[in-house]
Amino acid sequence: MTCSNVLFLPLLFKIKKDPVFLQQVLALYLSPKNIHPTIFLISFIPLNKQPVKQNTVTVRSYALKYALLTGLILLSFLRGHGQFASPRDSGVTSTRQQAIDFLNEIKELAPSRAWPNIKPALFLQNLRTSVEQPISIYPGNGTNFCGYGALTYLFLRDDPLGFAKLLLQLYREGTGSFGKTIFTPSDPVKKTAGLLRFKGVLDIRPAEQLWFLCLADHYKGYLNFFNRHYDPDDEDSFWASVNYSKFNRMLRKLLRYKVKARGADLIRPRVGDRYKYISEKMKTGTVVLYINNRIVHKKNHVSIKLGFPTHFIVAERISLENGLITLIYWDYGSRTQLQLSPAFFKRVIYGITYCSKKGHDE
Amino acid sequence: MNKRPVTILIFPLLVLGLFSCSPKNITGKYYYENEQTLNRIEKSYKELYHQKPFTVAFTAKDFKTISLEIITDTLSYIYEFSLDESRLADTLVKYGLPAPGLLELIREMQSIRCTWVNMLDYYVDQKKNNMVFMSVKAVAVNPFSYKKYYILAYFSQPQSFDKNGNLLDKRATRRLRKINGQTFKRINDKVCYTISGHFR
Repeated sequence: MTCSNVLFLPLLFKIKKDPVFLQQVLALYLSPKNIHPTIFLISFIPLNKQPVKQNTVTVRSYALKYALLTGLILLSFLRGHGQFASPRDSGVTSTRQQAIDFLNEIKELAPSRAWPNIKPALFLQNLRTSVEQPISIYPGNGTNFCGYGALTYLFLRDDPLGFAKLLLQLYREGTGSFGKTIFTPSDPVKKTAGLLRFKGVLDIRPAEQLWFLCLADHYKGYLNFFNRHYDPDDEDSFWASVNYSKFNRMLRKLLRYKVKARGADLIRPRVGDRYKYISEKMKTGTVVLYINNRIVHKKNHVSIKLGFPTHFIVAERISLENGLITLIYWDYGSRTQLQLSPAFFKRVIYGITYCSKKGHDE
Repeated sequence: MNKRPVTILIFPLLVLGLFSCSPKNITGKYYYENEQTLNRIEKSYKELYHQKPFTVAFTAKDFKTISLEIITDTLSYIYEFSLDESRLADTLVKYGLPAPGLLELIREMQSIRCTWVNMLDYYVDQKKNNMVFMSVKAVAVNPFSYKKYYILAYFSQPQSFDKNGNLLDKRATRRLRKINGQTFKRINDKVCYTISGHFR
């Protein structure tokens, strides 16, 4: 039994004695958003015992409790923190061969009324390439699709058959469902897919265009607050941006992984030695890093760089030799090897997302 | 002492300073003033790239530190070197890059403050084409301006432009072509430019 389970024992006794308390527990546990364990524990401070006299001290303690609770709820939205099992983490993940066999059965694809600018043959060809070579996924030159790219790379490695079926359903019906997620892309998105230009090889990959646009259209975070509806060229704007919490939410909703996230959009992860933590996690699962790419791939010579993350990469291999960390990661359709000092490594990393299959987590 | 006349003098001078060297003034002339060197860099990069794909960027203001990306079929390697480091030449040899040609290219880039040179893919009617993308940290650009890089795009084939000299996607569509989110202006049929806040 883990430490957190022991903490819950006295609560079980209380639930037994007090049915109203049980009701509160269930309401909290079954609420649509995942709740941070700390919030869950704080919520057990008895609410049902109404004070006989509303003296100042009692009012203050209640006010304090609610302020704390609200603060933590807000914090849990801002930070990508938490360790929650995906609702879909049971069941078997598909193999690449299963997906190839499934796609091989489709000889010809009819034009889709939902996606007027997608050429069927090119769509099918793109889908085959994605399934056969997940590494080739390319989020596009100058777009804000990198988060969706990293998610798709993991999706294709874990469940290529699920991915192929979902994309074909989206193409044929204009909507698609995966687990509890139902994608209903907006009309502007449907008209744009297939027409994205000047984005490198993404120009000739309509299936990837469709998918990235669908993801950006469906999932919203606070960065998308002022631009929630697609307009031309919005793939390069805040409409497509992915904050850390949103990225982890997408992972939990779509993939059959247990997702454990450390770090935040503006606060670096408190995990001690980052190299040690990441290399340990990579032994049993996949690690996605949320990094400040502006200092890794400098784009200008400004001396003062803003310290916030901009890019998602999937860590593939990491080693430490002669005081230098060598990191091999996936992003933008290929693998890259980068050497950096531990201090610089610490500086660039804002989020560490660990994805594991059940039974592999610590 | 009355400071008012001094303030009156300084203010117009500042305003003049801000607008005297706007990006528009340098863009037309810059290419022709440095045409030979720029074209030499483009030609040399193209030749070297076809032997082994790579990109070079000057990452520090003093133009003494480079970021070298060596692209292979399986992996891209990113290294940062100070120009006086011996391991730069050693690395070039290790990865089979033509060291003398590349070192000469780097020297030439440094001489005109060329910050980045890269090969970009673009697609016309689903056919892959590529162009050399080059950025220069031009001194003449307004120091107060955010946009500090003069970007050149070298195409292999003649391109289409509208009547204002803007680069078009295709003659038929009249849609403006954007490279890295920027629209480009004509210098000649195969070369166009823009001014940007980023060198890549």
